[in-house]
Amino acid sequence: MLNKETNQKKIIINKGKIITREELFERKEQFHKDQAKLPFEEKIKILVNMQKIVIGIKGESEKTMIWKIY
Amino acid sequence: MKKAINIINELKKKNLIEDYAIGGGIAALFYIEPFLTYDLDIFITLPPKEKEKKLIVLSPIFDYLKKKGCSWKGEHIIVEGIPVQFIPADELEEEAMNNAKTILYEGVETKVVTPEYLIAILFRAGRKKDLEKVEKLLTQAEIDEKKLNDILNSYNLKEQFNF
Repeated sequence: MLNKETNQKKIIINKGKIITREELFERKEQFHKDQAKLPFEEKIKILVNMQKIVIGIKGESEKTMIWKIY
Repeated sequence: MKKAINIINELKKKNLIEDYAIGGGIAALFYIEPFLTYDLDIFITLPPKEKEKKLIVLSPIFDYLKKKGCSWKGEHIIVEGIPVQFIPADELEEEAMNNAKTILYEGVETKVVTPEYLIAILFRAGRKKDLEKVEKLLTQAEIDEKKLNDILNSYNLKEQFNF
């Protein structure tokens, strides 16, 4: 657990915008929640892209394959 | 995916299964942020005449799917490019199936297990990857806590549920 001082440490992000570590992690959490609200069809497309990335790295095996969604 | 759902719907229309619902990772994906998974778990119940038998016979389903051009890969049957696993539902899964949410996927009707039942099923399975999904469902999905508690209590899971 980080102390309050660490969490309030300021970070400069793009275009000179300043946020605290705490805000950074709050935004990260919100990003995951927003991703969770994507339409199901969109999530399936993202899943297929992940499957492509894994096969690109590891190659196809018994357990890995790319879904045909169209 | 749409074509696979259409074929699974055909199984119900042809009375090869009584009902079904999407469970497992893809059901979780419906409620939480995208993550990598490879199979589509389908909980099924068989028609009453099949239920009476002591042995669960899935061969009529697989015979039908083979005629449709589906093939086997490991323990999955590939339905229109998607590895599907048909899981005959136990008591909890059947209740989950009966209470599943009806959704449209690219205009095709299908059913997805609700997050409360999904949490109970994943928690009962208890593998690390299942518990990670429970954690995400609790933080990213809208959970009816009363419903979840009722399910956990009915299946004696509440005491161990330490989230």
